[in-house]
Order: sequence, then structure tokens, then C-alpha cells
Amino acid sequence: MAIHEKALIEDERLQQHDELVVDGVDVSGHWNTMIAPRTVRDYDDDFEKKIQGFVGGENVHRCWQCGSCTNSCTMYAQNVQFNPRYWIYLTRLGMKEELVKDKDIIWQCVSCNKCTNICPKDVKPEGVMKALAHWMEEEGITEKAPSTIFDEEFADQIYKTGRIEDSKVMQNFFKKTGQPLVQDWMKTFVFRMMKHIPVKHLMAMGFNTVHTPRTKSWGKTGEVLKNYVREQKEAAHG
Amino acid sequence: MQDTVLVVGGGPAGLSAAANVTSAGYKAVMVEKEDVLGGAPILSGYAKLVPSGEWASEAIGRMVKRVEDDSSATVHKGAKVEKLDGEAGNFTATLTNGETVQAGSVVLATGFTHFDSINKPEWGFGTYEDVLTTTQVEQMVASGKIACPSDGRVPERVCILLCVGSRDRQIGREWCSKICCTVSANMAMEIKELSPETDVFIYYMDIRTFGLYEDKFYWKSQEEFKTKFVKARIAEVTSSGDGRLLVKGEDTLVKRPIVIPFDMVVHAIGMDPNADNPEISQVFGVGLEKHGFLERAEQYTNTCGTTRKGIYACGAAYGPETIDDSIAQGAAAGGRAVADLHALVQKAG
Repeated sequence: MAIHEKALIEDERLQQHDELVVDGVDVSGHWNTMIAPRTVRDYDDDFEKKIQGFVGGENVHRCWQCGSCTNSCTMYAQNVQFNPRYWIYLTRLGMKEELVKDKDIIWQCVSCNKCTNICPKDVKPEGVMKALAHWMEEEGITEKAPSTIFDEEFADQIYKTGRIEDSKVMQNFFKKTGQPLVQDWMKTFVFRMMKHIPVKHLMAMGFNTVHTPRTKSWGKTGEVLKNYVREQKEAAHG
Repeated sequence: MQDTVLVVGGGPAGLSAAANVTSAGYKAVMVEKEDVLGGAPILSGYAKLVPSGEWASEAIGRMVKRVEDDSSATVHKGAKVEKLDGEAGNFTATLTNGETVQAGSVVLATGFTHFDSINKPEWGFGTYEDVLTTTQVEQMVASGKIACPSDGRVPERVCILLCVGSRDRQIGREWCSKICCTVSANMAMEIKELSPETDVFIYYMDIRTFGLYEDKFYWKSQEEFKTKFVKARIAEVTSSGDGRLLVKGEDTLVKRPIVIPFDMVVHAIGMDPNADNPEISQVFGVGLEKHGFLERAEQYTNTCGTTRKGIYACGAAYGPETIDDSIAQGAAAGGRAVADLHALVQKAG
């Protein structure tokens, strides 16, 4: 059976001193390694509410720590550090620092929803995993997901011109995610397009790529849209 | 021919027993050591009862009125039974007020005594003003305001410690007091209703909101009133030095020590055997079980029985009990006692 005991002494709590005086007694060389205590000194009473503001996190307060989610979890079977029950508890008490320690695995949830099906309190743990991943992304704790970068590029173009230019979205997405601008599938794509698509259409596409015209009467719509999205975000996440 | 049942104790169980005796056409004599009827809910000033949500003064008040208005019931307040002579079918009780009562059978509805938190000094009761018991907070809720006794401020954060005086071999209380989990969940909601800004935490080893109390109290307090349940048995309550209290323990779900500041700490106190039980045992000649509550007779065919023929018991006299079940048991014990009288009638022909 898997043991999911965390190492009780994390590296960052090891304090080593070449010279150390404790209460006036020089203990250098003998007792020069101290371990910072793990004591929880306070709760963050607002954090649970914050996570509830993200889609999927709404029911996190219902959890009573039965552990059904962790027991049913596909990822837990792969890695015993992947423990939804534990993260939900940390969320409820606002122990953010502990959550951040697991930032590199929380996003690994595969959304199989076995936890959602088994949860006796309808907490929807899968949703909580997503909410936590989004919170970390928003706080800059984890890097932006490629899908987020894509969405931002997509939205930016809409704000500017009221439309998207496929090839430009792709190009900028590749640039921002460090991928080669020309990829094999694109060569095949263009080759087939040239073979099957009327030349006039192709020219229009070329023209649009260069000039990126605005949608008719776009005016200030882009600005308004941008403000609206910002307001919605602020309303949801403060 | 005996037509009277002696009911000892005027709490919910005794009031129920007496009413059942008189409704069957017999006479009840009630002896209550305090000067008012109603038992713990009235004497300790409980707020809203579990599970009805009715105010104790109204709900139990109706039970008191029913007996006090009953011409077939005689009530002796501020009196105890000093001596019980005779045997089943023909008892004579001598009361401390000098009266004697002839009765065919006896119902002991002698209840319990609240655990005195002084016996767990590490949890700060008696040392810090802002450490209270559930009965004290019941009174606070009944008065309509939640405030720290030390300076009258509204607490930002309150914690309720479960199993104070229950499930604790150190102090010889090896029983679960049965109702404190539900009472505490209910109290968390009452605190939140009076002060929505206050965060309420409940420190527990297990949550035992049995039967229908599960969703009505535990789930509701968690889901609708945002009570936080933390799995830790608190080791110690100390002062933070800046007017708050520090609650120390181990959060067993994260396996870490905790030292959390609170403005108010509430002890969910358990039910002890009635402090008078040794005396009751002697006067009535009934046995006590190993914890000090009244010993039951064989349960299946001698329901409500004690170790002495003709003497019955009900409610928290037998062990920690809810108010509703005490009332039901009181009715049952009243019925058993009346059956004894009826048997006497038949025997006499």
C-alpha cells in the first residue's frame, strides 16, 4: 500500500550555521543544525472564498475530509503526492504556502472525474483542482498554460480589429510559446490549400494577412469589450 | 389501594412521566430538589433546543405548565426524598419538607450534572475570562448578543472544543455525551446568525451528529453557515499576551502542530452522572453502573427498570441522553409505573 507521508523535514526548514550562539552558549560545531518548526500559526479566513470565485471551486467548503477523492484518484495511483483531499483541506484553512509547494503537480489532474462521482458531499474535487490551477496561474505562481497564451493572443486581436487572422494568431502563439514558426504540418496544409483552393481566395487571404483590416463600424467596440472582460474578472476574483 | 406514582425530578423526562401517569387516570406526585420545574434546559437557561429549534423556555415551559395545571399532579419543589420505605406496590417516601407520600411505584427522572470544565485546567476555563462553556454561550445566545466577557468586544473568531468531559480516560469519563456535537453545530449557526462576521471553528476528534441530526445540523452548519471543522484534539489554551487566546494542538489531517489565535473558546461540556447519584442510590436502593449512572434492569422485557422492583427510571439518569429521547423515555417509564398500579387493582379484584 502506498504511503503518502510527506517528508517531515523540508530542505527549506533546515537551518545550518557555521557559528551559533544559543542563549549565550556557543554551540558552534556541535548543534549547528536547527530545524525551523512546522507549526501552523494562523489561518487565512478569506482564501476559501477566493478559490470559490473560480469555476469549479464553488463547493469546496462542503468537504469533510473522508478521502474518497484521493482513494479514487487516477493521478494518486501514479503519484502518492497527488492528494486532492489534502489540497482541499489546505484551501479551506487558507494554507497557501503548503499549496504552493505542490504547484508542479496540482495541474496534473486528468479530469477523469472519478472523484466527482464518488464524493458523498458533492464537493466536485475535480473542479477544485482546476480552480486551484487557475488561481496559481493568475497569481503567477505557475507559468501560463499554452492554452491561456493562445486565448490571450486571440482576444488581443479581437480587441484591436474585431476579427482574428488565423495565420497571425498561430504565428504569435508559436513565438510566445517558443515553437518553430514553420512546422511540417503547415507545409502540408499550405501545399494542399494551393492545390485545392481558388487563387482569388488565396490572394484575398494574403492581402488580409498584410493589411489586417478592421470589421466594418468596429469603432470603440474593442475598448468596450476589453473593459467588460476586465470588470467581469475583477467581479469574480477581486 | 395505591393509585399514585412518585416521580422524582422535574426535568423533561419527569414532566413527561408525570403527564403520562395522570393521563392514564392515576395520580402523580412530583418531587423536585430545585425551586423551579423544567430541569437542565430551564435551570441552565438553554437557548433554542435541538432539534425543534424552539426556545427552551417556551417548549419546556409548556411541559411545566401541563403538570402544574394538572389537578391529578402534586408538585413538591425545593424538596428531596429522604427515605423510601416499603416495597413495590406500597412505597412510603419521606420528603425533606416533612411530607410523606404513599406511592405504588416510583419513577426516577433524576437527570445528569453538567461536566465542570475546571476539571480540565489545561483548556483555560476559570483562568481566562473568554473561555466559556456551551451552557454559558447558550445563555449568551438567549440574551441576543455574542461578546467576549473580558472586554465586551464581538469576537472575530470563535472556536468550540468538542469532547470536554467526554471520552477522556484521564478524568474517568469514558463515555460519549451523545449530543454535544449536534449542540455545537447548532451553536455555531446561532453565533453566525447573531454575528455574521464571526468565523466559527469546531475542533473535533469525530463528529457524532447521529440520525437525522447529520444534515440538519452538521451539514447545514458547514454548508450554509461556513463553520470550519478542524480535526484536532486541543492540548492547551493559553493567552497570546495581546488579549486573545492561543489554541494549541495537532491538526492530524495535515500532521502539523497548530497555535491559532481566537477571541473566544467554548467548551462543549459533556454530561456527568448526577452528582447526587450516590445519595439517590442509597435512598432508593437502586444500583449504579460503572460510570455512576443508574443501572438498567434487563432491557428487553423490563424496559425502564432499575435494579429494584417497582422503581423505574428514564432519561439522562441512565446515561447521556437527548431531550427528545428523555421525554419519550419519561412517557414509557410513566406507562410502566402505571402498569404496576393497574396490576395491583386487578390483584385486589
